[in-house]
Amino acid sequence: MLPGRPLFWQIQPIWLFYSLAFIAVCIFAAGLIYRIRLWKTGTGGFPRINSRHLIRLFSEALLGKKIWSGDFAAGFMHFLIFWGFAGLFVGTVLLSVHEYIITFLSGTIYLVYSATLEIAGAMLVLSLGWAVVRRYVQRVSRLENRGSDAAVLIWIGGAAVSGFWVEAVRLTALQPQWQGWSFIAAAMPLAGMGSHTATVWYPVFWWVHALLSLGLIAFIPYSKLVHMMTAPAAIYLSDRTAGIIPVDERIPDGEVHTVADFVGFDACTRCGRCAEVCPATRAGEPFSPREYLLWAQQRAYENAGGNAILRRGILATGTADALFNLHRIWHCTTCNACIEVCPVSLRPPDAIRQRRSAVVEAGVEMPEMLAQSLKNVFKYDNPWEATKKKRAKWSKDLDLTDLSKNKKRTGKTETTDAKATGDICYFVGCTTALDTRAQGLARSFAFLLNRAGVAFGTLGKKEPCCGDIARRGGEDGLFEMKREDALDVFNKYAITDVVTSSPHCYHTLKHDYPLYPAGPACVDSSNLRIRHYTEFIWELMEKGRLVFDGSGPVTITYHDPCYLGRHHRLFDLPRNILAAVPGVTLVEMEHHREDSLCCGGGGDRMWQEELDGEMKMSALRIEEARETGARLLITACPLCLIMLEDARKAAGLEKDLEVLDLNEFLVRRISD
Amino acid sequence: MNIVVCVKQVPEVTDAELTISSDGSRILADDLEMDINEWDNYAVETAVRLKEAHGGTVTAVTMGDEDSEDVLRQALAMGADEAILIDDEDFEGSDAVGIARGLHAAIKDRPFDLLLAGVQSADNGWGQVGLVLAELLQRPYASLVVDVQVDGDRLTVQRELESNTLERVSLPLPAVLTIQSGANTPRYVSILGIRRVRNIDIEETDADDLGLDEDQIGVKSSSVQELKLSLPAMGEGAEMLTGSVEEICDQTARIIREKGGLQ
Ligand code: SF4
Ligand code: SF4
Repeated sequence: MLPGRPLFWQIQPIWLFYSLAFIAVCIFAAGLIYRIRLWKTGTGGFPRINSRHLIRLFSEALLGKKIWSGDFAAGFMHFLIFWGFAGLFVGTVLLSVHEYIITFLSGTIYLVYSATLEIAGAMLVLSLGWAVVRRYVQRVSRLENRGSDAAVLIWIGGAAVSGFWVEAVRLTALQPQWQGWSFIAAAMPLAGMGSHTATVWYPVFWWVHALLSLGLIAFIPYSKLVHMMTAPAAIYLSDRTAGIIPVDERIPDGEVHTVADFVGFDACTRCGRCAEVCPATRAGEPFSPREYLLWAQQRAYENAGGNAILRRGILATGTADALFNLHRIWHCTTCNACIEVCPVSLRPPDAIRQRRSAVVEAGVEMPEMLAQSLKNVFKYDNPWEATKKKRAKWSKDLDLTDLSKNKKRTGKTETTDAKATGDICYFVGCTTALDTRAQGLARSFAFLLNRAGVAFGTLGKKEPCCGDIARRGGEDGLFEMKREDALDVFNKYAITDVVTSSPHCYHTLKHDYPLYPAGPACVDSSNLRIRHYTEFIWELMEKGRLVFDGSGPVTITYHDPCYLGRHHRLFDLPRNILAAVPGVTLVEMEHHREDSLCCGGGGDRMWQEELDGEMKMSALRIEEARETGARLLITACPLCLIMLEDARKAAGLEKDLEVLDLNEFLVRRISD
Repeated sequence: MNIVVCVKQVPEVTDAELTISSDGSRILADDLEMDINEWDNYAVETAVRLKEAHGGTVTAVTMGDEDSEDVLRQALAMGADEAILIDDEDFEGSDAVGIARGLHAAIKDRPFDLLLAGVQSADNGWGQVGLVLAELLQRPYASLVVDVQVDGDRLTVQRELESNTLERVSLPLPAVLTIQSGANTPRYVSILGIRRVRNIDIEETDADDLGLDEDQIGVKSSSVQELKLSLPAMGEGAEMLTGSVEEICDQTARIIREKGGLQ
């Protein structure tokens, strides 16, 4: 007899099994469809699949690329669970193919098949055990424990172990000579069960296993296991930035979350990696990105229509922290640290920003200080409540070209515009122009540009606000207005080449402005070339127009601004600039580059001090800088500069550590 | 419950450097940002909340030039349903009675249950218009209101008196209330909100339409005569510090130490 396996051996009635299987699949499908229906209420639609998506899907979803990074133990555990589960699933599918389509599971193929399933089952059982240890013995702190987490482990474990028992009983009953290939089942202790008893008891074992397995299938869409389907969907949607819908085209009080946001709510596995890195969570503030996603998911399902039983089923597996509320969404600094580590490529800050826009539209639950800053942006064109005159004050004695006047401030008239002269527009930005500490950045950068002989100018009093604070705060109408105003100013003075002080203006001009749909309704921004000052300085250094010499050795550490590093991947550039200065030794803080710690100034937190917890984010950062023993802490963003400078003073480090903008440091080191 | 709420546009002066015209007749407002009068903002919020709780409509009314449309749009964006603009130069120089007559004429034919106004305006600071209006309407009124509860056809309101004392009073509807600042947290008005109401028609009217003549409004009718505006003279002991931020800080620290503020 060829090795093989009799299907439904001793099992009657088979129709009962198929009926149950049908029911299980229906429950499964109903849950999944219910979720997909909710996703479709999101804005932005589903994109078409292309090859790049598929490659990402393969590397991130199948190989679990991001799961491995950072936490090897968790990655390996998930790898085993995933491939064990997938192996058993594919094995079952193959068995059906064998039975109903083509017969192929016999002879050697069957033996290999059997051994493979044996290994898959072993992987699954072992890794589930490991998961139990991590969750309940090691108590890995980022995992939050719910009843449904235990249910998932017990259920999958039960299905897997009962499968081994079924096999063991069958082997005992049939005693095939190839049972060595089923090495685990063959070794299972059956308490001296004889062949006859095994034959009699076999159906009982079989039905238990069948019910557990079918039940598991039905359970999937109602538990976190749904991430088997939603995680690939989320990964597929994640490398696409949703365009901005102009406010006039929005439905009043309509849905603000995008399809990708909704898929993300359902794809979150609650692994807690994001909570581990979120600077707000670290600083002890009552917020974490995971908390937001769970809360938003719960609200979405509570308000979803359709079948109430399905809704309750989905909500039954656990609810968000009951304390989370709308007021907590302002804690996010939009630093993107969570995006960096999320294994299913979710983008919590993007979803949170969308929610902010709904709160702004309703207006009743706005944080007061932020509301005031936004009003200031509307009235004064800057969040600092400063008149136009004050904006140009920092450069009063510098004799810079005012591109809005096309002449030197002090001198003769020139008749040409910026485009014709090839003048670079130095976009100073509200905070850099108006904050006394940040003005040092502007003065130093202007000095370096002059030294390098760059033809450049500023917009003086006419410089517009880019609208970053409105965009981050969800004041979308104001952002649209600021964008149009700014583009009008650029167009009026024929400005196309812009260099910014702030990574925030840089991001807003470069990344957010083009997100509006092309067409007559929105001013086009595609003719603008936007660079951050670090990029520009590096170009000048490469051309040999800026040369630095050493004036003694100095140990420095560099703080990555979130909007330069994580948002625009400019990790190496500022470090290369520093490395090119003789005498510089760069030491890194514990967190740097991709996992750099946020200073706490982004995402409008600069204007919402009332959200600060007992520990400020900037204080955590300054402590890391102190630990390096460096004399200088250098950064490349006006907000970081202000936050870190304040933290340094608060920590009483005035004598040990100096906080400088990169430009300020370079001015000290420039060759005479 | 149908509510009328009176609003006014005023210049924002908190951080502004004020200049007064050479003849001392007015503040030069060209550089000043205009905004809704702070007290009126609380009044609009009160009106909208009452509407949200009890139904009905809210009508905002203002007296001013065409720029004052902005405060009406703001009230509409907050949740008012209709708006009336009384735009007529003849009202210039009116005292509280003149202004109240204008407002009264604009609203007297509308059925309403409650009329709200801010306690006072940031620019004139008379604190009278709402109360004179109540007299003209022959309705009961309460001033300095910080809380409003509706029970049936009566109102129970809290009035804020000095040193944190609250007085609770009850009055029959229709009534007039002047709302104190801090009575609530006025909602944020987003640009989107303003854009959504930009097509709502604003009813415009003037002194002629309202049947008011020179004897009733404007300078002629006014019982007070404004003589001269001036900025307060710098008092004894005031000292302006000049210089860079560091220098100012140093001087401040020195003064505090000298005067014994820091031991
Ligand atoms: S958002 Fe991502 S990182 Fe955070 S808990 Fe969910 S799956 Fe994990
Ligand atoms: S973007 Fe930064 S602050 Fe916001 S949720 Fe993610 S980690 Fe936290």
